[in-house]
Amino acid sequence: MSLLGIILTFSLVDNIVLTRLLGICPCVGAPGGMRAAVGTSAATALLMSLSTLAAWVLETFVLQPLDIDFLRTPAFVLSVAGIAGFLDWVARRTVPQLLRLAGIPLAGIAFNCATVGVAIIAAKGGFNAPQSLLVGLAAGAGFFIALSLLTAIRERLEVEKVPEWLRGLPLHLISAGLLAYAFMAFDRAFLSRLFRGW
Amino acid sequence: MTPSAGFTKGLFRDNPVAVTLIGLCPAAAVTGRVIDALWMSVGLIFVLVLTRLSQTILQAMLALTESASQSSPSTEARPFRWLGSLVFASCFTASFELILLAFVPDESASLGIYVPLIAVNCIVLERFAASGNREPVRNIGRDIAKSLQESGGLGVGFAISLIAISLVRETLGSGTITLFPIGSFAGTIEAGNVSLAPARALAYAGGGLLCLGYLAGAARLLGRLKGRRLEGQGGTEAERS
Repeated sequence: MSLLGIILTFSLVDNIVLTRLLGICPCVGAPGGMRAAVGTSAATALLMSLSTLAAWVLETFVLQPLDIDFLRTPAFVLSVAGIAGFLDWVARRTVPQLLRLAGIPLAGIAFNCATVGVAIIAAKGGFNAPQSLLVGLAAGAGFFIALSLLTAIRERLEVEKVPEWLRGLPLHLISAGLLAYAFMAFDRAFLSRLFRGW
Repeated sequence: MTPSAGFTKGLFRDNPVAVTLIGLCPAAAVTGRVIDALWMSVGLIFVLVLTRLSQTILQAMLALTESASQSSPSTEARPFRWLGSLVFASCFTASFELILLAFVPDESASLGIYVPLIAVNCIVLERFAASGNREPVRNIGRDIAKSLQESGGLGVGFAISLIAISLVRETLGSGTITLFPIGSFAGTIEAGNVSLAPARALAYAGGGLLCLGYLAGAARLLGRLKGRRLEGQGGTEAERS
């Protein structure tokens, strides 16, 4: 798969939130407006790219040579958690004011099923090191697209008149569902015709 | 609190998917077929109960060593406990993956990456956060019983929501109900006329999120009606509408 193909696939066609349905909790339930969304997405994209790279290293140099595939889940989960903890530590030392948006540590938000899921998808996809890094970045961009669209919808819905029993999270989930239908327009065949040879 | 209150709380009043809205990813993603929802629930109950049990035992052992060394309960040890719980969760998930691969390889392929992701499921992680701030252990036996009840209740509540969503999605979206093949029964029930012209939109990814949203809304509506009738008593009936 070419680099453009990876970017388009992981940010639009196989959008981690709206097509794979991973990381719904931070997208639907995260507090705060657009600024918090940008911060969360940046942290998630950084963590995703580092963890896909770590997943590639683990897969190529540890799991495959030693033939211990069955330890993939613990290895990936713990390495991603370790990277999240390390990023949290670095951010706390260098830019403490950036770290906490809405009172929640960013690394805590960024460590979710989407991050671990991308690491597993990238490792199983058989990519090389730069491609793995790009998969993480593209998936992070996809996460940003989904989260910013959902945040914008949520901000609009807050001033609308909606049925009381749907107000809040149920309505966010329904709008995420409708957005997921909209993302089905990013079809693999359609995009491959647009960008020949990806 | 009656002995079973910890169990029933997780079933309906604190149902993780429908009421407290955690662990939504598998609830939206693997509810396309009833059988997938069933196996996902089995996996989550397996991992959640065993992780909570191991965590309670580990916490009891740590409390014993802390009281033996007369040191104050240190806050430094907390990240390591969290990490310990993550180790438990990921190892139990890996063992469930192997069990699934050995006995039902088709299902293992169908669930795909959602099985390893049980380890970082918000329900499992949420439990870590909740039990991280608990008061020191007093009675190990009672603690173990309590953790078993709570995690079992949450797991079964997750299963109820998942099965409810998957019944709606599969019946309307594909016109079938896929279950186990037993004897002469092939494992698939045709849902009458719906199978001729199913609403395929529900079978796609967006359909899962839509059903989840309406389930959460319905649970809230039922909880409110119940609360009005019982004056503060928690709902005990299903929100299966």
